[in-house]
Amino acid sequence: MSQSEMYRAPRGLRFLAPMLSTFRLLLRDRFAFWGLTIFALFILVAMIAPWIAPYDPFAPMMTESGRLIRLAPPSAEHWLGTTAFGNDVFSQLVMGSRVALRVGLVAAIAVGFISTLVGVISGYFGGIIDDILMRMTDVALSIPTLPFAIVAVGLLGPSIDNIILVITLLFWRNGARIIRSVVLTERERVFVKWARAAGASHLHIILRHILPNILRVVFLWVTMSVAFAVLTEASLSFLGLGDPSITSWGQMLNTAFASGALRTAWWWVAPPSLMLITLISSLYLIGRAYEEQTNPRLRERT
Amino acid sequence: MRAYILRRLLQSMLVVFVVTTIMFFMFRVMPADPTTMFLEGGMTEEARQVLLEEWGLNGTLWEQYVRYMGNLLTGDFGNSFFYRKPAWDVLWPFIINTLWIAVPGLLLGAVIGSGLGMIVGWAPRGGKVERSGILLATIIRGAPSFVVGIMLLAIFSSWLNWVPGYGMGDPQGATGLMRYLNWDFAHHLILPLCAVIIFFIPENLLLMRSGVVEARTEDYIELVRAKGVSEGRVAWHAGRNSMLPLITWLFPALAETIAGIVVVEIVFSWPGVGRELVLAVVRQDYPVAQAAFFLMSIMIVLANLAADLTYSKLDPRVVYK
Repeated sequence: MSQSEMYRAPRGLRFLAPMLSTFRLLLRDRFAFWGLTIFALFILVAMIAPWIAPYDPFAPMMTESGRLIRLAPPSAEHWLGTTAFGNDVFSQLVMGSRVALRVGLVAAIAVGFISTLVGVISGYFGGIIDDILMRMTDVALSIPTLPFAIVAVGLLGPSIDNIILVITLLFWRNGARIIRSVVLTERERVFVKWARAAGASHLHIILRHILPNILRVVFLWVTMSVAFAVLTEASLSFLGLGDPSITSWGQMLNTAFASGALRTAWWWVAPPSLMLITLISSLYLIGRAYEEQTNPRLRERT
Repeated sequence: MRAYILRRLLQSMLVVFVVTTIMFFMFRVMPADPTTMFLEGGMTEEARQVLLEEWGLNGTLWEQYVRYMGNLLTGDFGNSFFYRKPAWDVLWPFIINTLWIAVPGLLLGAVIGSGLGMIVGWAPRGGKVERSGILLATIIRGAPSFVVGIMLLAIFSSWLNWVPGYGMGDPQGATGLMRYLNWDFAHHLILPLCAVIIFFIPENLLLMRSGVVEARTEDYIELVRAKGVSEGRVAWHAGRNSMLPLITWLFPALAETIAGIVVVEIVFSWPGVGRELVLAVVRQDYPVAQAAFFLMSIMIVLANLAADLTYSKLDPRVVYK
């Protein structure tokens, strides 16, 4: 992944070249390959979820004689059984992937955008701007994560947009710190100094010389933010602070837990748990491989 | 050095002040009138005013803010809407309960995790131990703590019926320390404690492993090996130097644990401060929610301060400016 490789990218894609080379680097790592594959599968399932789910996730299932099918074990009609309220577990599970990925991706992109903005401005301009932004970050870093989410969602009301907003408010802070420190080293590079000496504007230097070189760190932070966002949404839903109108994995576990079906209905509890573990771990695998590949002291010698 | 400490102290105080202010306005801007909770008794307007005054909700927002901050300085968090007694008296026992699972959980998690991390870090690169160690650690790290809790509960409490999965036992008249020093309490403590330990193992493992892997290529390791000591002692040399970041990581981690084990406390109905925060939010008991939130923020600020000061003491390369 030398400079020459970067510049061989087609003209329109030049800006994306670091992303593509990062992607190629990740595919070389076996764990990251599996992480990316699983993540892609989740996205696919979420996109075609309404066509996979056999029933409405909140529709009560009735027998032919008109009785509610409560806590039925897995069968041919209900692949993963039914809940205590007679809902089809498989349909809830499939539709739940939409909430997880929607919250994860939207919040992560918002987090990536804000942390890049704060990190680049703070690191590039330095001085009093840096001081003000970093003191703000210090304050944000002293806010306890989950308690803030609980209080804020409790006060704002449990809707999916509020959850996304709260997650964004929480996770920009760490990203801003990390991106700022990368910008601090990039700023001192020779080509930045040349560009400055040649009279390039700040905007030009940031867009042309700083941003392409920090894109990988941004990409890593966005990946990790997806994991944090999915985890936070699931935790809030488990605590009963999720959006009640949409089915999510955390909410499934909340209802299973609250109805006391933990002991009997494994088909209701195990699937959402496994989905959460698989999705979050796959993202961590991608993030870990990235760190390993970019830190020369950790890289495996071949 | 003294100037550095003083500067960090002032900074921390400023952070606490700003966080408290944000918290105050966050709670007050939202439309909520606690007196509506007690209205069923047919309250007269006068009685309502008395209650509002009792809770410090009279006057303009600015007056309320000044009064609230003034009271905070004297350690007065206001009265709980729900329990009808000072919020601090409500919270105090819950904090102790939380510490019972947070402190041993974090310490045991750190010891077990970094021990395993040393093994994985010292194992041959690309070998079976390394690959499976990393994969397992990442999967456990990806498991939300309430999922781990539910699994423990389902297996050891519901299915095997070895340990209770609810609350922390009935002390039956025991007071003071004796409330905690009995077999029943320990029995109730096991599962939530395990959940917290499992939560901490992977993070410590991966941190320690990176440290050991980085240290393996250092010259001093070659030197130690050249002395002819056993391979185990060489590994210890590499591990010991990787502990510095771990030690300073412990303080903020403890603060985050106390704030983060909310879900573990909920799963096991452990009467801790996190569970009380959730209950307070649901009950709209804002003085208690505010006090719990304030305590957690203070802990994080103090933990970060302690970490910075310890780090500067332990690592002579840190420059104070």
